[in-house]
Amino acid sequence: MQGLMQSAAASLSPTVWTMVLGLVLSLGFVQVNALFLVWLERKVAAHIQLRIGPDEVGPFGLLQTLMDGLKLFVKELITPKPASWFLFVISPVLVFAPVLVPFVVLPFGQWLQVSDMPEGMLLIFAFASMTVFAILLGGWSSNNKYALLGAIRSVAQNVAYEIPLLLSAMSVVLMARSMSFQDIVGAQQGVWFVFYQPVAAIIYLIGATAETNRAPFDIPEAESELVAGFHTEYSGMRFALFFLAEYTNMFIVASVATALFFGGWRGPFADGPWWFLLKVYVLIFVVMWVRWTFPRLRFDQLMVFAWKYMIPVALANLLLTALVLKLVA
Amino acid sequence: MTPQAMLDPTHTLSEDTFYLNMGPQHPSTHGVLRLLLRLSGERILECDPVLGYSHRGQEHIAQNKTYLQFLPYPGRMDYLSALMFNHAHCLAVEKAAGIAVPERAEYIRVICAELNRISSHLLWLGAYLMDLGAFTPFLYCFDDREDIMDLLLPVTGSRLTYCYSRFGGVAKDIDETFVTGLRAFIKKLRGRLKDYDKLVNKNVIFINRTRDVGVISADMARAYGLTGPCLRGSGVAYDVRRAEPYSVYPEFAFEIPVRSGGDCLDRYMVRFLEMEQSLRIIEQALDRLPQGPVAPAKPVRVVKVPAGDYHCVYESARGQVGIYLVSDGGKNPYRMKWRVPSFSNLSVLPKLLVNTLVADTIAILGSVDVVMPEIDR
Amino acid sequence: MSEFTRYLGRIASGAASLVSGMEVTIRYMFKPVVTVRYPRLRLDIPEGFRGPVELVTDPETGDHNCSACGTCARVCPSGVISVQGGKKKAAGQDGEGAKAPEDPFVITDSFIIDFSRCSLCGLCVESCPRKALRFSHMYEQCGTSRQVAVVDLVARQKALAAVGCEPAASRPGPQQQAAA
Repeated sequence: MQGLMQSAAASLSPTVWTMVLGLVLSLGFVQVNALFLVWLERKVAAHIQLRIGPDEVGPFGLLQTLMDGLKLFVKELITPKPASWFLFVISPVLVFAPVLVPFVVLPFGQWLQVSDMPEGMLLIFAFASMTVFAILLGGWSSNNKYALLGAIRSVAQNVAYEIPLLLSAMSVVLMARSMSFQDIVGAQQGVWFVFYQPVAAIIYLIGATAETNRAPFDIPEAESELVAGFHTEYSGMRFALFFLAEYTNMFIVASVATALFFGGWRGPFADGPWWFLLKVYVLIFVVMWVRWTFPRLRFDQLMVFAWKYMIPVALANLLLTALVLKLVA
Repeated sequence: MTPQAMLDPTHTLSEDTFYLNMGPQHPSTHGVLRLLLRLSGERILECDPVLGYSHRGQEHIAQNKTYLQFLPYPGRMDYLSALMFNHAHCLAVEKAAGIAVPERAEYIRVICAELNRISSHLLWLGAYLMDLGAFTPFLYCFDDREDIMDLLLPVTGSRLTYCYSRFGGVAKDIDETFVTGLRAFIKKLRGRLKDYDKLVNKNVIFINRTRDVGVISADMARAYGLTGPCLRGSGVAYDVRRAEPYSVYPEFAFEIPVRSGGDCLDRYMVRFLEMEQSLRIIEQALDRLPQGPVAPAKPVRVVKVPAGDYHCVYESARGQVGIYLVSDGGKNPYRMKWRVPSFSNLSVLPKLLVNTLVADTIAILGSVDVVMPEIDR
Repeated sequence: MSEFTRYLGRIASGAASLVSGMEVTIRYMFKPVVTVRYPRLRLDIPEGFRGPVELVTDPETGDHNCSACGTCARVCPSGVISVQGGKKKAAGQDGEGAKAPEDPFVITDSFIIDFSRCSLCGLCVESCPRKALRFSHMYEQCGTSRQVAVVDLVARQKALAAVGCEPAASRPGPQQQAAA
């Protein structure tokens, strides 16, 4: 029996083992990161609004989110009677599952990456767009009109904003001539791509904000209109999973932005994962700063903005990039 | 469509429309307004406001109380401009009973009423921005509003539901601390208004959310009896403080901000500019504040109103307040009818909301600025 | 072409407005916070604050000045005050008579007020002919039932005096607040 196990283990390539290890570590990182980000969000919001923010639990209130998480953990899971039970229960899981996968290819450092796939960037975008299924299912299966409206908005928004997101990322891919993150970061040896591609970087950041349903693009959960949007009926840990997914998604899009435009783990000195994390958190801070400054767009304006402004500009930028690359090369 | 029709099982719905019940516990219906919306997707086909959730029968209470005893009640109608309603009630009774008011008291009343107008507009501004999804201006406005409350608290004794005016004067004189504090506040608020201008008024998202949304034409505004910023946003320069001056307002120089578009942005801008005008009035009142008593030597306890009917109008933060007082010469009013601005302003809503989006509902409702207890009374 | 320049102009002006908004928020982020860490810190309550009414304790007699005339009960808009008084013959024995020479025989038995319906308008305090009422500075009022809000002020004052509470106990000074 033991021999069988050993041979089975041996037959698995080392890649699989690193992947399993990476996933387990990612799972831990996701939790800690979300705890930190929620705390950071609340602190940033508080100080922008002349408040203190979480302060009581732990040093600087750092453990506040943990306590909130514990509270959500012990809360009752309410399933509305008219809800479609199976879909209602499964969608929080569905929203959380795909946010783990991108961690496999995120280039934290030159040696700190689970697996550098040649199509790494594509993998992230593929899985990032899966969140919308879960939101649609969750909103629809709640059998709540507000949740349904939120879910419908979410789908339209995600479809519209994925296009400029991909177009702006493609400009970088054209420059690096690869979709592998190691190659992309390697291509930014001297100058970060943000200086070659400022338009693409801005479009990517706007699109990423919309993709993660954050203000001013938070119309799927627009609390002043739709109460809580697609997660109106969710409570306890199910709600927490939506929440966790949102903050992890934020981390992922910021990581991708760092790798694509801001030189990844490279810094002025001592290249390493610390540079990567620093840049990611600075980007996240900017996203938070934006959230606590602007009002929310209206749904149709959001669409107009995506189709009439972002997509044409992103497309023009991509064509220009291709043209210039052709001429230079 | 009525609430009954909505519950009626035989009431048939076409395939592509559905009803959405917004309120009375919805986060943006500002209190206990309930809106029944018939939607096609996110487009509103029909809207039916349901009122009366905070009805307390205040006009009937007035008939069963003496004039003095009714004093705290008007402040509970529009709790955001309690001082102004309080002032209006006193003006009406003083006019009817022929009670003289010392000049200093009237100045103090105007100062406090204008402060109250600013605080009401600040709360509205913050809440409106929150409706539109910007949470931060809300807290800035509340910070400023807190200063007003801190100023008014030692004078009036309360923070929200003030009961400060008395027949023939005010309850308490203001002191030097109040005057210096107020001057400092005026300076601070002017700086803050500049920040709001940068943060909100020029913001492209905000402008897109409010421009050409919920347009009320001047004729429509007159037809529905709109008053206050809603009317002035539609290009009609009507302000009771100018049209039928009361108190000591004729002595002050101030402008009436008017915008011609009639959309949410114009109503917003009228209120925003009104704050500056209120500051001007307060400054002038502080400069010319006369000395003297603030209340009659013998406090007015029993009011004798000669039989007859009286009418008094007042410009509150939301528009024209009208008090129609009928007296039979007794201790209590025979009838006291309050014409409140929010009710008329809300009446235009079902017409405005047709063919807009759900998100616009919030923008329009917020720009009309209703206070539900005032409507329900 | 002019349409295209307008298109670019819209993008530029929109972006400029967004940046100026962000400048405001980042500036506010480094301003001092305005929150007071209640309940660790408390604000000073100004003199004019209207808390639930209480009976003034006369420093000379250690007792209240109420003579149960009932003016406050009559003027109260909400009818929350009921005062009971009786005639007691021995003026001077309990110290009441000395302060009230014009009606020495009236002693207030109870001064019951229902704070849950009081609107703090101040008419009772202003109308009291003997200035026996004043506003307290209490602002933390909660209870587990409506009955908690119905208080007999005379009995409460006696009880407070019995445990040696200062008359101004309901108006904490700044030092007490800082300590709390």
